[in-house]
Amino acid sequence: MTARQIPIGDYGLIGDTRSAGLVAPDGSIDWWCAPRFDDAPIFGRLVGGDAAGWFAIGPNEAASLSGRAYRPDTVTLTTTWSVAGGELELADSLVAEVEGRFLPATVLVRQLTARGGTVRAHFHLAPRFGYDRQPPRRVGRRASAVVCEGHDLAIAVTSDGPIIETERSVAFEVHPTKPVTIVVTAARRSMLILVPPALANAEIARDEAGWRAWAAGIEAADYRTEVVRSLMTLRLLTYSPSGAPVAAPTTSLPERIGGGRNWDYRYAWPRDASIGIAAFLASGKPREARGFLAWLLHASRLSRPHLPVLFTLDGRPGGAERELGGWPGYASSRPVRVGNGAARQHQLDGYGWVVDAAWLLTDAGHRLYGETWRAVAAFADHVAATWRTPDAGIWEKRAEPAHHVHSKLMAWLALDRAARIAAVRGDRRSRRTQGWTAARDALAGDIRSRGFDPVQGAYTAAYGSTELDAAVLVLPVLGFEPASSPRVLSTVDAIRQRLSAGGPLLYRYPPGTDGLAGGEGAFLPCSFWLVQALARTGRTDEAVALFEELRVLGGPLGLYGEEMDPVTGAHLGNYPQALTHAALVQASLSLTGATTHGGHD
Amino acid sequence: MDWGGWAVFGLVATTGLTAVMIAAQLGGRTRLDLPLMLGTITTEDPDRARVAGFGIHLAIGQVFALFYAAGFAALGRSGWWLGALFGLAHAAIALTVLVPLLPGVHPHMASERAGLGSTAVLEPPGLFALNYGTATPLVAVGAHVAYGAVLGLFLGSH
Repeated sequence: MTARQIPIGDYGLIGDTRSAGLVAPDGSIDWWCAPRFDDAPIFGRLVGGDAAGWFAIGPNEAASLSGRAYRPDTVTLTTTWSVAGGELELADSLVAEVEGRFLPATVLVRQLTARGGTVRAHFHLAPRFGYDRQPPRRVGRRASAVVCEGHDLAIAVTSDGPIIETERSVAFEVHPTKPVTIVVTAARRSMLILVPPALANAEIARDEAGWRAWAAGIEAADYRTEVVRSLMTLRLLTYSPSGAPVAAPTTSLPERIGGGRNWDYRYAWPRDASIGIAAFLASGKPREARGFLAWLLHASRLSRPHLPVLFTLDGRPGGAERELGGWPGYASSRPVRVGNGAARQHQLDGYGWVVDAAWLLTDAGHRLYGETWRAVAAFADHVAATWRTPDAGIWEKRAEPAHHVHSKLMAWLALDRAARIAAVRGDRRSRRTQGWTAARDALAGDIRSRGFDPVQGAYTAAYGSTELDAAVLVLPVLGFEPASSPRVLSTVDAIRQRLSAGGPLLYRYPPGTDGLAGGEGAFLPCSFWLVQALARTGRTDEAVALFEELRVLGGPLGLYGEEMDPVTGAHLGNYPQALTHAALVQASLSLTGATTHGGHD
Repeated sequence: MDWGGWAVFGLVATTGLTAVMIAAQLGGRTRLDLPLMLGTITTEDPDRARVAGFGIHLAIGQVFALFYAAGFAALGRSGWWLGALFGLAHAAIALTVLVPLLPGVHPHMASERAGLGSTAVLEPPGLFALNYGTATPLVAVGAHVAYGAVLGLFLGSH
């Protein structure tokens, strides 16, 4: 069998805010870690080869893909094939809302509907258990279900159509008057709850109504389709039991095909959470914004005032990184890793994102709880005491620490926003607040004198370096200098020119400078940050034009990965990427009110 | 009969039994979730069911402790080993009689005769509760032997 290589951007995301799966255009679920995002995949051939399992459903006769879409304002993914005399539609979803009711936490529902005549279909169910990709240790029948067990996990499969079998393709017919539903439930170290297909379909309909109501509350005048899909993706990637936002639901999708830049993103980064807070808050979703901040403060409770780079879904420090031997990787991109070694790095920028998120809530009229304020103030104290030390920087380069300008800017942001919050709370003149403002001003002078290269007319990646860093595109947003200042304008221009990857794409830093073998793609969040930077510096027309180019670069379902191959336009890296979608929302909102266009949906 | 011992150590032994079962469950040895299984007789909410189920299991354990105490009194002797023997018999009865009867009375458990119903159901236990994992009978026996040993050790025979 030849290696399977579906373009990353062609996968559709399904999820229940606890786990997420990726569905290929041929109807195969090639990735599904359940019951949690960070569990071993039950279906993992996306990076684990056929030995890692999959669950395919599709036509069993000559057919052509005729459409893929999410049902409007829901997370139910439909895939439609044209067949002779009719069509076959597959609807995939996971039940999100199970709290307080007799339902398992994990319910995958796949429904096939035929139109125009009877359609021959097939399914192939090959579940695997654990990172050793074990086939089921036991397969048995319980009442109406087939139960597969392995390690400490069990899945139950029920169907109102074909008799369920595993490890082989099973053919069956779908009649126009009788859709076929297959339901998979999962339980780890607990008893399975068996869900009949009729009930599962009713639950999906209930969920869809819930998602539509949720989407109706989104405030977005422009680019609504993109904003809604991005916010839904962010919500799907938020682990509801704790509120932790995972950066992406996958591990080791490569930043370069065939390369070794393959990382596990099934962790929560405080930076992503903070950007998510801004995105949700600006979109009329303060509940989600507060939820992210609450998670951040809860997760960091044991480590304060130090803010770890990343957390597990439970708020613990990230696990040790290891490589999965024998996993072939996506398109032979090895190694496949689980765990993330960046957890041990010191990154100064994280504090800025978090304190800024607290400021955004304060500025929007939400009063911080006393506990929240104490935590935020402790972060500011920590920044005031440590800003002179070098750090690993936002990009988690596996190199020696340096004085990264972006990190210093974010440290400045932490001190500035903490002082602003203190002022709102009537604490402007306290010794603590004055200490922050003094440190902020000292840091600003340091950045201006050591972080700006007058030859290039730009703030650089690090003190003493001539390299540029696309993360510095946040400069016009911070208020560090007036957005119209020559230094800001020339920095934006320099980054746009020197880090250009062609078209609307940007590299995050000059290729080949991160100490890792091989190159990587253009970094998509940076392009959205550029939109925001252009809008903030008054170049609205350029910002709109750039956004228009970027909005068509999303996958067929409107999803974005972390990076993009500048030559082929293929999505790269873990997918879909929360940071990219949060940056998209912020970019689109930066255009709102700054434009007079009216043609967007 | 040792009423004071029954009141105190019945509770201690049942708590210990429950702890062993939960530890085995969390350790991945069995999927049998006693609090969930018992609690869902009274409520559909799995989270609330676990709380209710824990209380129900404590009450059931206390009732069984009564039989243990009566047994010790009838034999005129007690001890950890006798209690452990009682526990072995108790586990055998639980696995072969009590648990297999559950699907017949549990409102949210599938019976082996069930077809495509309209409601969600807990998976049925099967023979010796083996459906919940092959180690389930061993875990159940170990937990009940510990339960009996605690009662045998601390309950008087008078």
